[in-house]
Amino acid sequence: MKERKLLWVLLVMLTALFLAACTANEDAGEAPENTDTTEEGNGEDGEAAEETPDLDGKTLYINNGQEPTSFDPSVGFDQLSWDPLNNLMEGLTRLDENSEAAEGVAESWDISEDGLTYTFHIREDANWSNGDPVVAEDFVFAWKHMLDPETASAAAFLAYYIEGGEEYNSGEGSADDVNVTAIDDKTLEVVLIQPTGFFLDLLTNPAFFPINHQVAEETPDWYAEADTFVANGPFMLDSWEHDSEMIFAKNPEYWDADAVNLDYVHFSMVNNTNSQYQMFQTGELDTASIPPEMSDELIDGDNVFIGESGGLEFYRFNLTEEPFQNKKIRQAISYAINRDDIAEYVVKQGVEPAYGFVSPGFTAPDGKDFREENGDLLSFDPELAQELLEEGMQEEGYDELPPIVLTYSTSDVNQAVAETMQNMLSENLGVDVTLENQEWNVFAEAQQNLELQFSRSSFLNDYADPVNFLESFITDSYMNRTGFSSEEYDELIEKGKSETDEEQRYEYLYEAERILAEEMIAMPIRYYNVVVLEADGVEGILRHPVGYFDLKYADKTE
Amino acid sequence: MKHMLKYILKRLLIMIITLWVIITLTFILMINIPGSPFNSDQSSNATVQANLEAHYNLDQPYYIQYLLYIKSIVTFDFGPSIKQPNQTVNDLLSRGFPISFELGIITIAVAVVSGILVGIIAALRHNGFLDYLTMGIAVLGISIPNFILATLLIQQLAVNLEIFPTATWRSPAHMVLPVLALATGPMAIIARLTRSTMLEVLTQDYIKMARAKGLSPWKVIFKHALRNALMPVVTIMGTLFAGILTGTFVIEQIFAIPGMGRYFVESINQRDYPVIMGTTVFYSAFLIIMLFIVDIVYGILDPRIKMHQKGGK
Repeated sequence: MKERKLLWVLLVMLTALFLAACTANEDAGEAPENTDTTEEGNGEDGEAAEETPDLDGKTLYINNGQEPTSFDPSVGFDQLSWDPLNNLMEGLTRLDENSEAAEGVAESWDISEDGLTYTFHIREDANWSNGDPVVAEDFVFAWKHMLDPETASAAAFLAYYIEGGEEYNSGEGSADDVNVTAIDDKTLEVVLIQPTGFFLDLLTNPAFFPINHQVAEETPDWYAEADTFVANGPFMLDSWEHDSEMIFAKNPEYWDADAVNLDYVHFSMVNNTNSQYQMFQTGELDTASIPPEMSDELIDGDNVFIGESGGLEFYRFNLTEEPFQNKKIRQAISYAINRDDIAEYVVKQGVEPAYGFVSPGFTAPDGKDFREENGDLLSFDPELAQELLEEGMQEEGYDELPPIVLTYSTSDVNQAVAETMQNMLSENLGVDVTLENQEWNVFAEAQQNLELQFSRSSFLNDYADPVNFLESFITDSYMNRTGFSSEEYDELIEKGKSETDEEQRYEYLYEAERILAEEMIAMPIRYYNVVVLEADGVEGILRHPVGYFDLKYADKTE
Repeated sequence: MKHMLKYILKRLLIMIITLWVIITLTFILMINIPGSPFNSDQSSNATVQANLEAHYNLDQPYYIQYLLYIKSIVTFDFGPSIKQPNQTVNDLLSRGFPISFELGIITIAVAVVSGILVGIIAALRHNGFLDYLTMGIAVLGISIPNFILATLLIQQLAVNLEIFPTATWRSPAHMVLPVLALATGPMAIIARLTRSTMLEVLTQDYIKMARAKGLSPWKVIFKHALRNALMPVVTIMGTLFAGILTGTFVIEQIFAIPGMGRYFVESINQRDYPVIMGTTVFYSAFLIIMLFIVDIVYGILDPRIKMHQKGGK
């Protein structure tokens, strides 16, 4: 009897397991059907699946880290989405080999004398991957889609330079008031609120990519799957298995298809730095990043690409909390920090220390680099730091410095930098600061609410103009987060955005940056950079200081 | 049978209440963690933030948000993920779960079969060389975290010897390393558990009796001893099942397996509220059902338990 019972139990368990396994397989088989997989049987984890999908033609294997947030150009406001999207689509302008805005979908443009009206002439041979021509209406549709409050685009503020843009986005205006018009199929006119010297550069940003309005009206979520996605860039979306891989194929409808060398680009989604490096070692990936702990070993290798990246790591002072209402005390802290050592021994990865706010790589109208032109605005000077601290304390009538808490978001590198700064302040200034780390999101919230005294920050450029960063510190800006407010500064930034004479405009920005350094409301630490391992034979990948990587000219020789 | 039905109904009711308590607690915890899904390194401004909050109903009072969550759970439609607005939470779960499940089932099969076998062998060779060897390995298996094992396995078997692919989830060959990394720990636990209960059972009178009757050693072990020795193993199976089947974040991340493990962890870091709710409800329901099944199986395996339940009423 007992045996029979046991047998029965085992039987039930086995059946359950078997059924479960079956349903699992059914589901696993279903997923790829939604996406248009080119390789047969890739979804059935069985016989036909290969180790690395061998695509018939010249294929570049790269890693996107994770699933893109969204391929809706208005919504996917991050590198995960915009790196790939930059290769599927093209705006009116596109960054060239020198990282300058050049003709993209637009073959030419006219700018009115007051610098407010831009008229773009779209190429006759610019087509979508489904064969539709790219028309002016596609841009009107896309930009109004971005500004529609219902879309809730995180990038929408980039389009506030367009007349009526901010009003529509904030719900005060309507779509009709946004001053962008399709004059005819191939002519687009847009009116700005003020002359904006960097508007052509701004247009290279994926947020300004067109949307095929006929497709979008028929299929509102056209961007979610490979079979409905329409591209107008060098590549088109061949297949997309969510959370696993994407395959881009050369787009024969692209106006400059002859310049495209690769037949396919295969994107993996490997989010672990060690795993992706190991895949690079075995040849499963053609490019990879360097795992932080292997920096010393690999950074000087032959196949390492190191490039500038528009962005800054810095620390914010909270001007509403003691003792940082005092300028001299803020300056003293800054002078006590040895940025060379932090860059070289702590952050590593070939980064450059920051002695200004605007990172290198922004070309002024005279052809020189903004950074070189405005020079070093800070230095490491422990003696001066001591003096300033004493003067500052005297001004405030402090016998003893109020306690300082330095806060950073939890990460190994952030912690290492914070501990180094703590040491430097103690040694060079005799000031003991307390360290505090917080989970990133908690930290971001507290910093936004001015609850932190002295806290780590980072900035990555959205577009290639110094004003992008400098604008953060105007009064009541969402990005301010210091309590800083200066009429003089606000005015300089306003002029730095609207001045039509480019040389004069840069003068305003130089001045603004000097004020920022003099007031020392934020303390630069180091600039960001891009470090990529590239396999032998991989060439032609454009990596711009600001912007998203471009595979249009990429090639791979065996 | 009537008792059984009544018992199951009662359990179902308790399960629903448990689930409701979990949902409510999760919601309360969720709205109390500082931060927002819209914090990012990117530039932003106040209008854009307000639009985003309105889009996801986060500008509504908490009780409305709570009711919306309850509604989404009852209709089993959690809406779109905030961090991947292309995808609904249902998409994420229905895509990720089968993969985690597949990985989990294989892992459990490997862990249970090899764990029990190793346990039996160790028990039979009690204090012998094989016993020390297998238990030594088992202690190692329990103490080495699976992510370290995973990295070691990749470095040796994928990079140096090039036997298996490094990562991603495409073919059976891709499954070997993650299954090994994931199965070693549970296997060691099961082996030790089996060994100790086996040792206990083997000294019992009825085993001596069976031997005395002249039954073959294998018959004694598999028919008489193992059956009782398996009870503790069944006990831990419920949690083990739920834990492994719903994905393990670290292993899935290391091997770039598109399972659902990472949604548990990342949704919380990113404050992706619909995904937090969706995964929590899913995981809790799964765990509760698993424990329920284990209880039923337990009752069938060991009649004493059923008696106790009858007595309890």
